[in-house]
Amino acid sequence: MSDTYAPHEFQYSSAEHQAGTALAGMWLFLATEVLFFGGLFLTWIYARSQNLAGFDAGARETELWIGTLNTGILLTSSFVYSTGLAFARVGNNRRLMQCCFAAIGLGLAFLALKFGLEWSGDFDKHLWPVGPDFKFAGEPTEGGARLFYVFYFIGTGLHGVHMVGGIVLVAMIAWRARRREFSPLYVTPVEVVGMYWSFVDIIWIILYPLIYLIGRS
Amino acid sequence: MSTTVVEAAELEKSYLVDKSTVASWLLTTDHKRIAILYLGSITFFFFIGGIAAAAVRLNLLVPEGLIPSAETYNRLFTTHGVIMVWFFLVPAVPVSLGNFVVPLMLGARDLAFPKLNLISWYLFIIGGIIELYALFIGGVDTGWTFYPPMSTSFNQSHVVLAVIGVFVSGFSSIATGLNFIVTIHRLRAPGMTWYKMPIFLWSLYSTSVILVLATPVLAITLLLLGFERIFRIGVFDPAIGGDPILFQHMFWFYSHPAVYIMILPGFGVISEIIPVFCRRRLFGYKFVAWCSVSIAVISFFVWGHHMFVSGQSLYASVVFSLLSYAVAVPSAIKVFNWIGTMHKGFIRFDAPMLYALGFVGLFTIGGLTGLFVAALAADVHLTQTYFVVAHFHYVMVGGMVTAFFGGLHYWWPKITGRMYPEMWGRAAALIIFIGFNVTFAPQFLLGYLGMPRRYHSYPPDFQVLNVLSSAGATILAAGYLLPLGYLTWSLFRGERAPANPWGATGLEWQTPSPPPAKNFATTPVVTEPPYTFPPPELVQNRV
Amino acid sequence: MPPRFPRLLIAWVLLLVLLGVEFGVAMLSFAPWLRVLILLPAMAMAAIVGIVFMEIGRAPVVARGFATAGLFWLLVLLGLGSMDPLTRTYYHTTVEHPE
Repeated sequence: MSDTYAPHEFQYSSAEHQAGTALAGMWLFLATEVLFFGGLFLTWIYARSQNLAGFDAGARETELWIGTLNTGILLTSSFVYSTGLAFARVGNNRRLMQCCFAAIGLGLAFLALKFGLEWSGDFDKHLWPVGPDFKFAGEPTEGGARLFYVFYFIGTGLHGVHMVGGIVLVAMIAWRARRREFSPLYVTPVEVVGMYWSFVDIIWIILYPLIYLIGRS
Repeated sequence: MSTTVVEAAELEKSYLVDKSTVASWLLTTDHKRIAILYLGSITFFFFIGGIAAAAVRLNLLVPEGLIPSAETYNRLFTTHGVIMVWFFLVPAVPVSLGNFVVPLMLGARDLAFPKLNLISWYLFIIGGIIELYALFIGGVDTGWTFYPPMSTSFNQSHVVLAVIGVFVSGFSSIATGLNFIVTIHRLRAPGMTWYKMPIFLWSLYSTSVILVLATPVLAITLLLLGFERIFRIGVFDPAIGGDPILFQHMFWFYSHPAVYIMILPGFGVISEIIPVFCRRRLFGYKFVAWCSVSIAVISFFVWGHHMFVSGQSLYASVVFSLLSYAVAVPSAIKVFNWIGTMHKGFIRFDAPMLYALGFVGLFTIGGLTGLFVAALAADVHLTQTYFVVAHFHYVMVGGMVTAFFGGLHYWWPKITGRMYPEMWGRAAALIIFIGFNVTFAPQFLLGYLGMPRRYHSYPPDFQVLNVLSSAGATILAAGYLLPLGYLTWSLFRGERAPANPWGATGLEWQTPSPPPAKNFATTPVVTEPPYTFPPPELVQNRV
Repeated sequence: MPPRFPRLLIAWVLLLVLLGVEFGVAMLSFAPWLRVLILLPAMAMAAIVGIVFMEIGRAPVVARGFATAGLFWLLVLLGLGSMDPLTRTYYHTTVEHPE
């Protein structure tokens, strides 16, 4: 049935009309996300420009290898999901589902490295910026380093929340692919979720140098 | 075949009686029903905020303050500000009148994302409940601006809860704005080009641009504030090299454009009402349309004028002051266009038109006094005084609330299928106009003389003007209670409204009042530009 | 493999190369203020993801407008927002800590 007939809701004139509108809506939503993280980037500018030495001293304590590996993992995950979308466009629900699982696996690997390994290591190294236990307490770089870790924990935490949301969405696509719901005529949900998944990737692409690279002179 | 019959049967019933279970209302995705849900909600919040305002004015009757504790007073004006800004003014026109008429004006059957529309109402309600709970268990005393370090380190009130309430309701704003923008881009009826759209749509489009692009910054700002308050450390904390002024930058990046979220829909309503009741085409249609858009864009460049005495750099202050003048230009152009429309018009003084006239006058005063406070040197004297309070109430209450009432009366027959009692409508419009001026005109003088805002007590010299202001507030309150009474009455006893009681031109008037659940029997085709009125002698008079 | 696969593969390889370049440049030592330039390869990567993976070209034309609006307003926020700290005068004072 779904191979020949693409349904649409009553306020649209056609299925293409509805599909284009969904894509446009997602782009606009992502524009709001840009501004959401934009506020965070502004705090980075303020905190670093006003406390350069301390901020960069904090940044040098981050786990460079985890951050870099995670960047590679996310890029690959986006690539794998996009491949799944390309399969969906030629009507291959099974390959789409497999790609979704791979993308989810990579996403979970990211989360495990980030929150399982990296965050717990940060806590062990007394990098949680609250309280007198902080590693830099008493040093002249203390304030800036604290500001860095406020940025670090809020930035990676918010990104992690977006990741979890993305994984849930990709899992829903996998489930629907298993029920063979998609066809060359109907792939809009796959496209929309893919946009979100790749966008979460973009946020990380920007966060990665802000956290791991720029302060490491 | 069978589908056509079902559709015909659906079209006979209005959206109000289409289905009548409670669930059919609470789970509806019909933009018209969601508009009604929103209308009820914002009315409720309007009166909550109003009660707080009444308590504030009551306190200021005597120099030492009638409310015994300054702390309580602080919590009252914060309640007033938070509720009125985020739970009435920002959503008011877009979510109620806008939700109802946007698809109708476009010739669409619903918004682009009806479920998102319903979700936005639930987010609004959840945010509202959290906010009311925060206020009920003791409230907040920071003022509606939540400035740190006051809000993070130096008070014992329920800042976190209040901030969460605002945060959640912000997502409802984003959802509504997103829905409007996408709908206006994608769901215009055949023939409905951009320049055939009524100005109300241009206004709401511009409003939505701000809702969508500014609100996320408020969200992250409040999140950082919450983090800082809970953990006592953060990016606004000067003790570790953070910057409290950064909060003000981020807050006003949202909150200054938010001022235009509040007033732009008002511009739209007035641009609908004036041509209809003057029987004239809107003067300078393209100017009015593009002024809305340019106000939305320029409004993002001016936020620093709230911070002239905050300690931001003088260079930044000068730039922001200069840019602030730029935003006055499109606003002024609109006022001239409305007056140009009225010139030589066949003016009828029905209640919506009375509100519109009140709006033009009050907004002009509010806008012009805005130039005073945008001027760097003058603002150093006027900032944090009652002059500022009077200025923004002239814009927000004299402008926006008046426009909301005007629009409510104008579209009331379409929304409910009933006419409101005209004499009561006119009386309320006059009472509100008089009460408003008596309340807020004295505050310009108080501010100029140096009375600071947000103080629980004041020197005895200021008492006469304060008593005058409080007396005016009583008149104003009566003016706001009147419509609550007679509009409710008209729901049951009002005269049945025809499809187009005002002889107006928009598509929303070409479908029955109240409209059927799916808006139009057949998708309308637009051939005429908006506001093409026949000559006055052909106009059918309603009475 | 589906028709668009080669394009995706090239993009992925390009992204990893850019990541390598970014990483390599960051290992060099240069002035703290110039280090912000490390963001340039990151921006190129973001653009590739947006164009190839998110397929901005397939969405209706208005989507390009939305994306541009998001970036424009981000620039307004960051640009006008950093005008103040970059031009602010700091007056040195001695703060007495009440210990």
